[in-house]
Amino acid sequence: MKTLIGMIKNNFVLMVLILLVVVFICAYPKKFLSPVNISSIVRQFIRLSLFALGPTFVVVIGSMDLTYVGIWMLGGILVWYVSSWIGPFAILIYPILGFVTGLLVGVIQVKAKIPSFILTLSITVTYWGLTAWLSGGYPRRVKGFGFITASLLPYLPVALLWAIPIMIVAVFIMKRTRIGTYFYAIGSNEEGAELSGIDVEKYKILAFTLSGLFTGIGLIILFPLLGGSAPTELKLGSIVDPLIAIVLGGTPLVGGSGGPERTLLGALTFAVIQRGLSLTFWKPELIQLLLGLVVLGAILVGARKLKGMVIT
Amino acid sequence: MKNFTKLRDWSRKNATVITSLAVTIIIIIIFQIINPSFLSHEGIRASIYAMSYFLIVACGLTFVIMMGSFDFSVVSLLKLAALFCVVFIDRYGLFVIPLAILLTTGFGFLNGLLVARFNVPSFMATLGVSIIVEGIALYFSKGRLFLMYNEQFRALAIKSIAGLPAIFYWAMAIWFVSVFIALCTPFGRRTYAIGSNLVAAGLSGVNVVRHRILVFMLSGFYAGLAGVLYMGQLGGGSVRLGTDLAVPLFASIIAGGTALTGGTGGPHRTLLGVIIITWTQTGLLMLAIGRDIQMVIFGIIAIALAAATVDRRRVKSVK
Repeated sequence: MKTLIGMIKNNFVLMVLILLVVVFICAYPKKFLSPVNISSIVRQFIRLSLFALGPTFVVVIGSMDLTYVGIWMLGGILVWYVSSWIGPFAILIYPILGFVTGLLVGVIQVKAKIPSFILTLSITVTYWGLTAWLSGGYPRRVKGFGFITASLLPYLPVALLWAIPIMIVAVFIMKRTRIGTYFYAIGSNEEGAELSGIDVEKYKILAFTLSGLFTGIGLIILFPLLGGSAPTELKLGSIVDPLIAIVLGGTPLVGGSGGPERTLLGALTFAVIQRGLSLTFWKPELIQLLLGLVVLGAILVGARKLKGMVIT
Repeated sequence: MKNFTKLRDWSRKNATVITSLAVTIIIIIIFQIINPSFLSHEGIRASIYAMSYFLIVACGLTFVIMMGSFDFSVVSLLKLAALFCVVFIDRYGLFVIPLAILLTTGFGFLNGLLVARFNVPSFMATLGVSIIVEGIALYFSKGRLFLMYNEQFRALAIKSIAGLPAIFYWAMAIWFVSVFIALCTPFGRRTYAIGSNLVAAGLSGVNVVRHRILVFMLSGFYAGLAGVLYMGQLGGGSVRLGTDLAVPLFASIIAGGTALTGGTGGPHRTLLGVIIITWTQTGLLMLAIGRDIQMVIFGIIAIALAAATVDRRRVKSVK
């Protein structure tokens, strides 16, 4: 009995996920397991996880990175600008922009010591302004990248096949390299890491750069998957959803534990909740409101490990 | 000679205030030169409209930042209060005002509860709460545009008293009260104490949990009040109201000299910051510089200001 409780406590989110799937299957046996629904869960999972993988590195070192929305928006319009010159290579704007943004954020954060949440939010808003200015205020659709996610066989999600290597690389960096170990060390005790000889500044910059780079690479897949255009309006939901995937997965916002593999679990759980709720016959406004409560619940679930810590 | 040393000490002590004041004057001069209508009667009215509701929200947020936390939800709460008023004014009459403010104070309480009691980092907690608040605003406004026809309600903000709109006097009154609370009451002292060192404040007998909840409630209260007056000033709105407010808002607080690390500054500083940011906004608008470029400008200003105000000697590492 005791081991059972311990197991549930350790794999709380996994239990929630299984419970949710069972509940939704019981409530909507035909609809939930239909190919359409499964593929849209997969789609939502890819979207959440590719946005959340990069920031996970930053959350592990105890900081916060919100630039993914900014990279998505500004990159979309830059792709539209250059696609007339260099054709399909234009999509490479995304990793480049991601890398540059990450490096910039890292250097500013480490040297100027601005709280990373405020810094990345300001950069996102700056990018938003640039996007609105360059695009003239409405989304620009770029055709010709559909081949990246075009399905070769029916029901075979090509986007997922592309996403899996990215996820594996992220987990590998975190679990099997020195970089990952150092990130955990910095996240659990920055001063201790510094005293034991880790170049904290260098690895912090590296975490932000990796975050931007992973977001950029992920967007190569997401851009065609989400319809070949990026939004020109900043929505609160697109900032918060990936964070919820991270927090729900079990990476605490103070850093030091968790990691990309947990983020994937969180992303899957949140995708199931979102899709499951949209199967109901409720009004869209009500579903929006319920999702807000889910977000709050996820934050509380994520905060349960932080008892006794000094949190501002 | 002695006078000179005194002057030097005084100017060192008040360096941030002097810089803010100088920046304000420079901004006024620049805009006046580029566009001579900046200091006309209409221009001043526009600047005052732009700064009044802003000042009220900023005062609330200043308390939270002084305490070392951050409240992201004020923008959404302002929107919620404004929309609540315009949607339900026909049903409840002027009674919507206390209801709207009660609602936002309640959400402030929720913020405080999450941060102080459940130990959620404040930006995450307030981000989550603003998702709910946006959901509620969408739920009862259904995305439509509403117009405010109640003249009594609008008079609260736009009635002209001695040549200036009523909202200006509201903002100044709120500002005075905030300065008094911050500088002359135990409440203010405790807020500074928690901002400087949360653990030490708790050990020296401050009920940290209760106080943090109270400060978040204060912030919610101010956001609600600002929302009500903003609706009176604007006369209508939809869910898209005020989405790009967040960055100018905290830029104005740090421009005044309240560092994001907490324990310093205060509402008395915020007034100058608000004037700098909002008058720059109106000045740019008068020069026909659009919202998109403004966002770029304020994003960069916010980063530069945040970097300039962090006390790097006191803070070893920033997360």
